[in-house]
Amino acid sequence: MNKPKKILIIGIAGGLAQITSRVILGNDPTVQIYGIDNRKPPEVDIKGLTCIKMRYSRGNFEKLFREHEFDVVYHLGRMSHSTIGSNDLSKRLELSVMGTNRILDLSLRFNIKKLIILSTFHVYGALPDNSIFLNEEDPLRASIKHSELRDVVEMDQICTNWMWKYQDTMSTIVLRPCNIIGSQISNTMSKYLTSSYAIRPIDYNPVFQFIHEFDMATVLARACTDLPTGIYNVATDDFISLNEALDIVGSKGIPFPISVAAPLNQLLKKVNLDIPTYLIDYLKNSCLISNSSLKKHLGEDFYRFKIDQALNLLKI
Amino acid sequence: MFDKFSLKLSDEEKLHKEQQISKLRERYKDYKDPWGFDVEKVVDAFNLIYPVYKKYFRIRVFGAENIEDKPYIFASNHTGQIPIDGMMITIALAMEVDKPRVLHSMVDSFLAGFPFLGSLTAQTGSILGDRGNCKWLLDQGESILVFPEGMKGITKSTHEFYDTRKFSNGFFRIALGEKTPIVPITVVGAEEMFPFVYHAKKLGKMFGLPTLPLTANLFPLPSPIDIYIGKPYEVPDDLSVDAQDKDIREHVYKIEKQINAQLLKGLKDRRPFFDEIRIPLADKFLKRRKNE
Repeated sequence: MNKPKKILIIGIAGGLAQITSRVILGNDPTVQIYGIDNRKPPEVDIKGLTCIKMRYSRGNFEKLFREHEFDVVYHLGRMSHSTIGSNDLSKRLELSVMGTNRILDLSLRFNIKKLIILSTFHVYGALPDNSIFLNEEDPLRASIKHSELRDVVEMDQICTNWMWKYQDTMSTIVLRPCNIIGSQISNTMSKYLTSSYAIRPIDYNPVFQFIHEFDMATVLARACTDLPTGIYNVATDDFISLNEALDIVGSKGIPFPISVAAPLNQLLKKVNLDIPTYLIDYLKNSCLISNSSLKKHLGEDFYRFKIDQALNLLKI
Repeated sequence: MFDKFSLKLSDEEKLHKEQQISKLRERYKDYKDPWGFDVEKVVDAFNLIYPVYKKYFRIRVFGAENIEDKPYIFASNHTGQIPIDGMMITIALAMEVDKPRVLHSMVDSFLAGFPFLGSLTAQTGSILGDRGNCKWLLDQGESILVFPEGMKGITKSTHEFYDTRKFSNGFFRIALGEKTPIVPITVVGAEEMFPFVYHAKKLGKMFGLPTLPLTANLFPLPSPIDIYIGKPYEVPDDLSVDAQDKDIREHVYKIEKQINAQLLKGLKDRRPFFDEIRIPLADKFLKRRKNE
């Protein structure tokens, strides 16, 4: 598509959304970006970016679409699934599933040309029988074992169903990135790698893929002009074992047998101190994704930072 | 007297091992795989197991000259109650061929997800048996080891020893897809490591295990093992990877036949081991009684 004039970024309070807006504005300073979030908007002064605190369920969200004739909508506002508690799941279901449905509906009604949705590679699930380099066509098995991930899988599936149904009216892109790491984003993986209390599994050593926040933001920015309708895994060519990654970051961690973490977690659940059980699986089993579809459109070297560089940058 | 059964390698054997290990280190210095392969872990394992391979099981390898420096799918019969045959074939291909390699064995998801063991097997080259995984390895120029009999191959009771189970077709389809030759391998002697076995399959299932072998001895006996490496079987160019089972079966049967032919030859030529053990043990026993 041609260069967009007006862009809406949902979830602007997140670090990745802010980096993405900087990358877009760096490429084209004439573009107007509106960033919204139901959290407190960032206190950043980026020329061309207007931040608004807003809930997707409110009437003024629709008004925003009506008044601004956006060309492109970025949906980066999926509520993190790495938090705990069953009450939280209902909030996530409301925001990630119902909220996404509303965004899709409004995008269609107000003739958005391109809708870019940030999903996650967690939808595939970390299972011991995972093949390496999962493709976009592989089944989404995350919620089979962990029902608390059903909002993540459900959101992805709503978007992909929508994408094919309305492909003649609107171009929709679903991105499933591997672990995004960086100093400006505070997601579970970045926190885990830099924490002094990170659990270092002694009985498993799964292999991980990491992408630097800047590279992810670049992919998001390029998705607008260079990617056709479809689902794309986002990962670099590199991979690294968890222990090596912790060594690079300089995290000593606490050596711990992950095989006893699950039963221990059941006990902690009784006092509300448990950690999400699906995360334990990611410390046991590898879940690697193939980037071949993305490379067809963005070229072989679409990323700037290799894994070791991205991990080293976490130390800063 | 026990020197014959000592695990101590001769100077010549040590030198040979070191030479082969340095070739392996050179070959895998830049190799990295998504399962966490670590050549130093492989070297540690070889250092530990090679004396057992050489001195305890006294392994002889026939047909090493059939192997060139290119990727193959090695298809072997399954013998023994523990997958020790795979370990011995892997050492044979690392220690007895001019261009050594680390074979990537296919393991079940049960083993791949096992604490400590799953991680160790992955670091030493074993991977989950999956077509995508095999394809990736062959594309990297690596060779893989498959046991087309599957789990049924190592769940044989005493009266079934050396019977080969029906081969699956999957490995041949992978070979067709990647145009990779298949090397038929036969292991002779591993069944006698546990001469008396009964498979309590129902009991095993109660513990979530595929089977529960009940054996007379808990530790494998020093049965001399022979490994026969056949000539590579070139896959046909005109057969599609999605060909009918009956067309695939024809080729799989030829490989199965070759393995069985090697097995018959191996059984005719196999070395006895009970006598070799009994005589020195009896000598020592008699001498001690005499001294008393």
